Amino acid sequence: MQRKVIFPNRWLPYALLAPQLVVTLIFFIWPSLQALLMAFQEQDPFGLSVRFVWFDNFVMVLTDPEYYNTLVRTLVFSTAVTLLAMVPALLLALAADALLRARSAYTTALMIPYAIAPAIAGVLWLFMFNPAIGVVAYTLQVLGLDWNPTLDGNDAMLLVIMASAWKQVAYNFLFFLAGLQSIPRSLLEAAAIDGAGPWRRFRTIVFPLLSPTTFFLLVVGLVYAFFDTFGVIHAVTAGGPATDTTTLVYKVYTDGMIALDLGGSAAQSVLLMLMVIGLTTLQFRFLERRVHYS
Amino acid sequence: MALKKTLLAYTLAFAAATSAVVAHAQAPAAAQPRTEIQMWMGLTGVNGELLSRFGEDFNRSQNEYRVVVSFRGQYPEQRAAAMAAFRAGNPPHIMQMFDAGSGDMIQSRGAIIPVSQVFQRAGIAFNPADFIAPARGYYGLPNGELLSMPFNVSTAVLFYNRDAFTRAGLDPNRPPRTWPEMIAAAKQIRERNAAECGFTTTWLAWIMLEQFNARHNQQIGTLDNGRGGAASELTVNNALNQRMVQTLIDLQPTRAFSYGGRSNDAAAKFISGQCAMLLQSSGGLAAIQRDGRFALGTAQLPHWPDVQGAPFATTIGGASLWVFNAPNRTQQEMRGIAMFLDFLRSDRVMTEWARTTGFLPATYSSFRAMQQAGFFTQNPGRDVPILSLIEARQGQFTQGYRFGRWTEIRNIYYEEVERALQGRQTAAQALRNFERRGNAQLRAFERSVN
Repeated sequence: MQRKVIFPNRWLPYALLAPQLVVTLIFFIWPSLQALLMAFQEQDPFGLSVRFVWFDNFVMVLTDPEYYNTLVRTLVFSTAVTLLAMVPALLLALAADALLRARSAYTTALMIPYAIAPAIAGVLWLFMFNPAIGVVAYTLQVLGLDWNPTLDGNDAMLLVIMASAWKQVAYNFLFFLAGLQSIPRSLLEAAAIDGAGPWRRFRTIVFPLLSPTTFFLLVVGLVYAFFDTFGVIHAVTAGGPATDTTTLVYKVYTDGMIALDLGGSAAQSVLLMLMVIGLTTLQFRFLERRVHYS
Repeated sequence: MALKKTLLAYTLAFAAATSAVVAHAQAPAAAQPRTEIQMWMGLTGVNGELLSRFGEDFNRSQNEYRVVVSFRGQYPEQRAAAMAAFRAGNPPHIMQMFDAGSGDMIQSRGAIIPVSQVFQRAGIAFNPADFIAPARGYYGLPNGELLSMPFNVSTAVLFYNRDAFTRAGLDPNRPPRTWPEMIAAAKQIRERNAAECGFTTTWLAWIMLEQFNARHNQQIGTLDNGRGGAASELTVNNALNQRMVQTLIDLQPTRAFSYGGRSNDAAAKFISGQCAMLLQSSGGLAAIQRDGRFALGTAQLPHWPDVQGAPFATTIGGASLWVFNAPNRTQQEMRGIAMFLDFLRSDRVMTEWARTTGFLPATYSSFRAMQQAGFFTQNPGRDVPILSLIEARQGQFTQGYRFGRWTEIRNIYYEEVERALQGRQTAAQALRNFERRGNAQLRAFERSVN
């Protein structure tokens, strides 16, 4: 006999959902629609003269060579952050999984960076690596390395990549650890008895069984790298030097809040949204078929 | 049973205490409801606390109005919040807007009420000539009216490390007055290794573009530096500006000049003793005095002696107070705004403000009051900023500028000069790119306000 759980009440589910839906509508849907509307308008900062300009803003954005530089820079940045956040997380999860004692202590310690706000994480790394007052910067200079993120674009990019990835490692670590612990021990033991070494076991058993987690973290990680890294960049380099750490999301901020070009900024954010939706769709279409769901 | 009684007793006591506190807090208000005036400011630290305290002082001095001074984030964030509030029909009564944002405020017609009109409507005497000429020119209209009220005024100065000068064999009582002298001093400091770097600068665009051109009475843009309307164009790609940027590039290899970042970051290089000289806002004095471990000297901004008539006056920075135009403002509120602004520009407030912060006395009367009180004789070097504003020669282009989107245009200047400092382009290319991109911003602004 199949046991079904049926709620006899007709309106209670809707009443319970309503608060969350209201919050989502007001803080997510409404601003998005507003941005979509503003992308087709040209207006002064105070909203005193608003004009409908069809696709002018989009044309201006897409014919700006600086936009394409920013796009390439963002792709480089996002790939680096995602990879740099996933590989160490996997290694740490493998290490933590193999622990017999004090696993919870290590897990807690490794989890802490995720709880830190992005801007704070940025400031922490800024203090360490600032060429004038940073401890690590001083060490690098003593070692003879020319470290100067205020003027060297590559140094600045490296700094924001490290600061962004550091935060995400904690998140990935948690998921990887959970994924590893759901792999049946019997499989690994059987493989070990058959003579498979650690690397062989990882490659043929652990990694395929971990692929749902990996796929999920890849999708989430890319979205993080595209959007949530704004706080880090703003706190550490403010998009500089020159435009070397200006990613697409940061450009939306500078064009909207600094230049007060509301139409252009809204157009860019619409394009960015379409881009990330496209990337996620591609991931689901092509990568998901390689994921092994048990 | 005993527990229940104790709980009841504590609850009653708590309720009584709370209602007593609430009644006490409401008592003065119950006497007469005060009209509330909202003022938003962008200052933090000591400066912000002092401005808040001025609000409290005003509240205590009368019981018709209650001024609420609140910090709404740094200037860009505060500006965004104010614009959102304006669109919602409820902007603050007074807002502190930094110099670079002035163009955006003025060109959007109808968003603000000129401060001269505010005083006039409230029937309070207001003479713009009280304010120092550079501030009047910056925030004023051709007919002499003031659009906003200058409050925290600063200008650019040269701070130098007297101990490093002595070590390098330079006379600490004769700081460089011209750029050739500056370059020679920086090179000598590096040759004798008296410091790791000769000089650095904060606020690159404000000092190297705006202050620099004012100091030599050079035009930044057409239509009287933008005052004639939104159709102005930038005109900075000339030999003088190219020479200045090229100088910075050339001095980098020997670290006679060392770039320290866009806004205030480079101050740390000077305070730590790394760099012997610093081009900085006069408002940076407090931090240097607190954390610097060397004898400090102050001098005016250097100039190029071959420019005819130089040195001219430097221009101002800092912020001014703007009054927003809202449809539901009552006559009562407008009068309160005028009264509070009148309070802020009084000699008492202005002198305390100038003494405590690194900002300058914005009115002639407060400057004279400080002189008579002997403040400048007791604190040598504190009069350098104000003198470089009012004693130096005034010219057609020492009155500041008025461009829309200037915050973004400053960013473009940072980007292009940084690229030149990185060696990716020459000074001429940097200025050409800056003009091109800056003009694109000005055209976009022009379209948006018409």
